[in-house]
Amino acid sequence: MTIPLGHYLILAGIIFAIGLAGALTRKNAIIVLIAIELMFNAAILNLIAFWHYKQFAALTGQMFAIFAISIAAAESAIGLALVIAIYRHYKSVDVDDIKSLKG
Amino acid sequence: MDYAFWTISGITVLGALLAVTLRNLVHCVLSLILFFLGIAAHYFLLRADFIGAVQILIYIGAVAVLILFAIMLTRNVTGEAGPQEVVGVKWWIGSLCAALTAGLISFAVRADSVAETLSPGPKATVAVADIGKGFVGNWIVPFEAMAVLLTAALIGAVVIALEEVRNRR
Amino acid sequence: MEHLDHLAKQQWLIPLLPLVAAGIQSLLPRGKRKLSAGICLLAMGGACALALRAFFATLGHHGDEPVRAVWNFTWFAFGNTSLDMGFILDPLTAGMAAMVSFVGFWIFVNATGYMHDDENFTRFFCFLSLFAAAMLGMVISNNLLLMFMCWELVGLCSYLLIGFWYFKPSAAAAMKKAFITTRVGDVGFFIGILLLYWKTGTLNLYTPDGTGALQQEAIAKLITEPYFWGLTVAGFIALMLFIGAMGKSAQFPLHVWLPDAMEGPTPVSALIHAATMVAAGVFMVGRMFPVFTASSADWVMDFVMWVGCITAVFSATIAVAQFDIKRVLAYSTCSQLGFMVMALGAGGLSAGQFHLLTHAFFKALLFLGSGCVIIGTHHEQDMRKMGGLKKYMPITFWCYFIGYLALSGFPLTAGFFSKDEVLLQTFYKNKLVWGLATFAAFLTAFYMTRQMYMVFAGMWRGGDHGRGHGHDDHGHGHHGGHEPHEVPWNMWLPIAVLSVFALLMGWLGTPWLKGNLFHHYVAPHEEAPHHSNLVLWLSIGVGLIGIFLGWLIYGRNTMVRATDADPLQAKLGGLFTALNRKWYVDEIYEATIIRLTMACGTLFRVFDKLVIDGVLHAIAGLTKALSQVCRWIGDELLINGGFDASCEGVRGSGSLLSKLQSGKVQNYFAFLSVGTIILVVVYFFKQ
Repeated sequence: MTIPLGHYLILAGIIFAIGLAGALTRKNAIIVLIAIELMFNAAILNLIAFWHYKQFAALTGQMFAIFAISIAAAESAIGLALVIAIYRHYKSVDVDDIKSLKG
Repeated sequence: MDYAFWTISGITVLGALLAVTLRNLVHCVLSLILFFLGIAAHYFLLRADFIGAVQILIYIGAVAVLILFAIMLTRNVTGEAGPQEVVGVKWWIGSLCAALTAGLISFAVRADSVAETLSPGPKATVAVADIGKGFVGNWIVPFEAMAVLLTAALIGAVVIALEEVRNRR
Repeated sequence: MEHLDHLAKQQWLIPLLPLVAAGIQSLLPRGKRKLSAGICLLAMGGACALALRAFFATLGHHGDEPVRAVWNFTWFAFGNTSLDMGFILDPLTAGMAAMVSFVGFWIFVNATGYMHDDENFTRFFCFLSLFAAAMLGMVISNNLLLMFMCWELVGLCSYLLIGFWYFKPSAAAAMKKAFITTRVGDVGFFIGILLLYWKTGTLNLYTPDGTGALQQEAIAKLITEPYFWGLTVAGFIALMLFIGAMGKSAQFPLHVWLPDAMEGPTPVSALIHAATMVAAGVFMVGRMFPVFTASSADWVMDFVMWVGCITAVFSATIAVAQFDIKRVLAYSTCSQLGFMVMALGAGGLSAGQFHLLTHAFFKALLFLGSGCVIIGTHHEQDMRKMGGLKKYMPITFWCYFIGYLALSGFPLTAGFFSKDEVLLQTFYKNKLVWGLATFAAFLTAFYMTRQMYMVFAGMWRGGDHGRGHGHDDHGHGHHGGHEPHEVPWNMWLPIAVLSVFALLMGWLGTPWLKGNLFHHYVAPHEEAPHHSNLVLWLSIGVGLIGIFLGWLIYGRNTMVRATDADPLQAKLGGLFTALNRKWYVDEIYEATIIRLTMACGTLFRVFDKLVIDGVLHAIAGLTKALSQVCRWIGDELLINGGFDASCEGVRGSGSLLSKLQSGKVQNYFAFLSVGTIILVVVYFFKQ
């Protein structure tokens, strides 16, 4: 008996939700970034699952996944550079301490 | 196949949960690595070997290490616990949002019968050579765009991280 | 053969046991010493039993077919290409695995005594088990990739173990030195692997259908193609692989790390730097021997032989002038490894491997013995401050004595037979190499005699130091804690067991009992060198002369005080200093390679400052000038004027909305999520 596609989609949904919860609740900027990585991975898992079940012959799903992974890597590099810059400036990585956008 | 899926899913979800709930930052990253490994294992199960390898190389090899570096650069190396987390309004809103999201996604998947009836693909994998040909064939434009993006990200990251130093001079 | 196939499939269990033990160790709390040692010994004992079972299964096959069973499987598939893994069971592997696990087991037993008081006992056994697992994994692998992985793991473990007492600066320096120096060789090994894969398309060494890299088809392909420096591809690959072996087996000029590696705990020295890890290089050359011997036109084999020969003589001369008990043994190990490599280079697979096996037994014995001495004398390593230990540590003395006889090549001991094989092998290949090797054998006997007299004969000289300031008041009794004492049973039992082997193992390879048994076992197709009485008697002769000379200089009048000059120093003068400073090799490296690297660094920095920064500054200046011009013309006049007016309007409404803006990113994100969820819900339920 094989696993239906829905299982993968729900798994991805759960991971996405965990990431969302982390990004919304944690105070540490690095953990927020980790949570964002979780959400990215959930999305990429969806791509691969769809590719496996639907478009097996074509490369599209895998290609998309690779592009998404590249973007995620770029995003995390920028994000962490930002964290370091912010830390230098504020001497803190607590997201609640960073509120210069306050109107 | 069945057991593999459930075991790996369990590990993946466990890793994800620990990664966002643990207090010690270094432990968070270690759980994150566990999570990445779980996802990579899923890719292997789904016969996307190359993506699985890429997952391990990029996420565990690069992203996790990068995060570790960020931790070491931003606080003392032992990765001591972050500021005290309080279970307040923010926590409730966040958890509620997450629960709602998970619920909605499950609902959507259940509601769509296609997701349950699709049969998996044949037992063959895509050759790495084909992916390579894809990169310089059909997907040449996004591929080049990706290259530009990565270069820009690289330079941008350096500039952002260096800014303070330049100001000090 | 079916039985062998079956066993080959189970080869992986051998390294698995210590690996699991290492895993358990890493989780054990520090206090669980007994449990930790028990698990490790059990695992090693199990591995040893399995290795012996495999070993006995390979015995007694006399057909023309080489005794070999392999089991390959796909590890990892990338679309159409795949990476294989595999295990092998043949005489080379079986003998080596049995040796490593057996010697390893007894070293573990000894280590329980040596490390008895160390607070990181469990960490030590974790590394030690991991090391044993890596080594065994390397031995049983039928695949260069697996072999390389284990090879590197072995290197990592040696790094961890040499620097086990990392708080000592010398240990920290030694661990780095060992890691980096062997890494130089590993680059060669890796190039060799890549080239082999490129040319043959496989990393499996043997396969049942004959497509493996070491089988006829691939080798025939390799020797037809010429490559660099007058070598065929096979020759070049062999050269690269040998460079890897040079790093691991401490061959000149990459030998510098081995003596420094004595900074680690003594059981580590015994396990890694005498019996097994340094043997990895020699074993690898033996395993890849078909590539080395493939092309007779290549000079690689001569190169191998000369490197071995130079190492053997060079290290033996240094060992003569060392005072640290472990350093003498370390240089002696270097020298003996030179012997093995030399034998391989002369085309003697069985001679090299036989010396490897016997040497592992008696050198482990000597190292563990020196560990007993060090413990018995309360962590004293300077031989000048020892002496007279025969009286205090009789068991250690007798075991050490047997090890000494074996290493010196005293007739009928293990070292005698295997050294004789090596000398015989070189005798027919190159008379000069043979002469030098015989000289090295002479030196070996000499410096070991020197060590025996300095450590065990004469008077106890260690007390000199402490007697000056009345130390004996701490309730140690009349003789105090500074008298040497015999070690506990778990330390002397291993050396006693090993000494039995050091005495008797040689008979496996003797030419006198209906041919050389070991030779038939390992390399039945290799042509055995003819027996030569000249080589035999000369080898016995130089050994005895070395012992006699040692007695003449050190035995007749032993040192009385620790501060006495070495009698040899008077006779050799400046040469002794040069030997004591190891021919200044470290200093030469410091002055050349390290200096050069630093100079390159400085040069590049200057280049960076002058050229690259200069260009960048020029570009920056130009851009600045351009933007200044644009600002005057465009910005000030046109844009600012128009915008200012509309901005005033926006600002008014903005100040109203700004109450919502807390400035906290997470709040914005929360708004975003809630909004999205609402949209999705609306989308679902509007139908």
